[in-house]
Amino acid sequence: MIHFISKRLKHSLALLLLASVVCFTLVVSAPGNVAVLIAELRGAVAVPGYVAQVEEEIGLNKPLLMRYVDWLGDAARGDFGISYRTGQAVSADLPHRMMVTGTLIAGSAVIATLLSLLLGFLGAFWPYKLPDRVSRGLALIGASTPTFFVGALMIYGFSVTFQLFPSFGFNGPVSWVLPWLTVAVLPAAVLSRVVRVGLEEAMTSPYVLTAKSKGLGRTAILFREALPNITPVFINALGTQVGLMTATGIIVEPLFAWQGVGDYFLAGVRFRDFMVVQACLLIFLTFFIVVNLIVDLAVLMTDPRIRRQWS
Amino acid sequence: MDKLKPIFARLNKFPRVALVVIGLFVALGTFAPWLAPQDPSAQNLLQGGAGPSVAHWLGTDHLGRDTLSRLIIAANTSLVSVGSVLIIAMTIGILMGTIAGYHRGWVDDLLMRVVDVGLSVPSLIVALAVIGIVGPGYWTMVLALALAWWPMSGRISRAVAVSIMSKPHIEALRVLGASPWRIYFGHLLPGTIGAVMVYATADAGTAALAVATLSFLGLGIQPPTPEWGQMLVDALPYLESDPRQVILPGLALTAAVIGFNTLGEAIALNRIPKPLTRRMLAMRRIEVAGWGKENSDA
Repeated sequence: MIHFISKRLKHSLALLLLASVVCFTLVVSAPGNVAVLIAELRGAVAVPGYVAQVEEEIGLNKPLLMRYVDWLGDAARGDFGISYRTGQAVSADLPHRMMVTGTLIAGSAVIATLLSLLLGFLGAFWPYKLPDRVSRGLALIGASTPTFFVGALMIYGFSVTFQLFPSFGFNGPVSWVLPWLTVAVLPAAVLSRVVRVGLEEAMTSPYVLTAKSKGLGRTAILFREALPNITPVFINALGTQVGLMTATGIIVEPLFAWQGVGDYFLAGVRFRDFMVVQACLLIFLTFFIVVNLIVDLAVLMTDPRIRRQWS
Repeated sequence: MDKLKPIFARLNKFPRVALVVIGLFVALGTFAPWLAPQDPSAQNLLQGGAGPSVAHWLGTDHLGRDTLSRLIIAANTSLVSVGSVLIIAMTIGILMGTIAGYHRGWVDDLLMRVVDVGLSVPSLIVALAVIGIVGPGYWTMVLALALAWWPMSGRISRAVAVSIMSKPHIEALRVLGASPWRIYFGHLLPGTIGAVMVYATADAGTAALAVATLSFLGLGIQPPTPEWGQMLVDALPYLESDPRQVILPGLALTAAVIGFNTLGEAIALNRIPKPLTRRMLAMRRIEVAGWGKENSDA
């Protein structure tokens, strides 16, 4: 158990290091002279002397490896350098932005989990009957509708036609509902199939036959025998979907005027603000690695078969 | 004509929805310039936001451009960009996958680690990062998406390549003294391409989605070229007064993606015989087909 955790932690650390190298090279290999950009940002005409001074200041004249170590140290302390566009520290409102994106992902993950379990169980309870077909159709539509279209439909339906929820802004739970729903549609659709297929597979296995012969009802079998068996698979799929939500967030945050990390990343890409792109990319990659780590540990907790392998 | 029969027999096993939607999408995309009833970029500000009429079957957008024509031309835009993305991505993926499958050992390990990392990061983030560094533009978009897409075909082609390499006839070729080049280009590559192409067609839906998403974000196809995602974002400010202009491109895109996803599901559930392109590669495949025979009885 401890052996597994320590091995897994080392693996994650190695991936983190790799991610940081990728982020660093991305910006180093970007075209254009950073020092000139910053010098011009500060209002001065880029006189060579001043450019050299800026280079000195942000450490551009050091060897590459030193720059990487410096940058990594700063990033670990939450300092991501200066934005080329605004001339201010990239990390200035990063905590708030991370909170916003965190709210989005957490809420959507909960909604997606509940919805997918509901749809998946409906399908598994009446296999190949009407509820199953409806849940399958919904899953296909949900998985195929572009997120930005879902968002537009949500705004049109719940905000323009029936004025139930505000169409933009980040102030209080009422304004969180539409973005949550928008982000949750795709993962809910994908996960409902995972639940449905997993349950069907579990229902044909020998231990379910045993349970049936003991005289257990269908509901009891579904919840007591099949559900624990699909939990590890579900957690795995949920982890992937939560990772994907960062990408959906990039689309949904600007749509609802949320100032999250995704919105920041998009703005960085638009204005080619490399430092912002780099910082957001590192945050995203760290998030994936952490989510993967949590998923692996959670699977370990819920799957006795894997636990036995490692103990 | 007799040679076409097996192809039709195979097509019959496709899900009907997928066949209709994909056929329509490809036909519209290919012949769009001749099918569009009006010039898609002809503006008429006096008729902006008009409803359906005899002249404009699906109405006009806020600049008075004919929506139907723009939707049709957008199919063409989408088809061309998705095609280029998939061709580039498949070329990279097949090359990397077959090299990994041929050499095994550390080359395999290294390439597959790269593929793993590429698959675990959402393709939108990869594409956006590339665009952020290089700067927006049509070819940047295509290249960025191809870079985000190749790991998928890379993994599939590696799996196929490994299975081909373990077949006895490859060993026989080696014993006969066939050069690595002959094994690679004569046997490994042709065998892999067919299998990967089938999977790639199923990917076309998500690729179309990605093109539309980037255009929606303003980093893909630039106006005035019509594209579904970009038409949608164009009409978004007028959502209250004219929702039709938002819903129509959205529906068109959703329909296309549903078609490709149904196909993808059928492939994943093994309902479609895998060596779809077998007839096209018939002569070559009969030599290599040891692995194909096992699957073609579906």
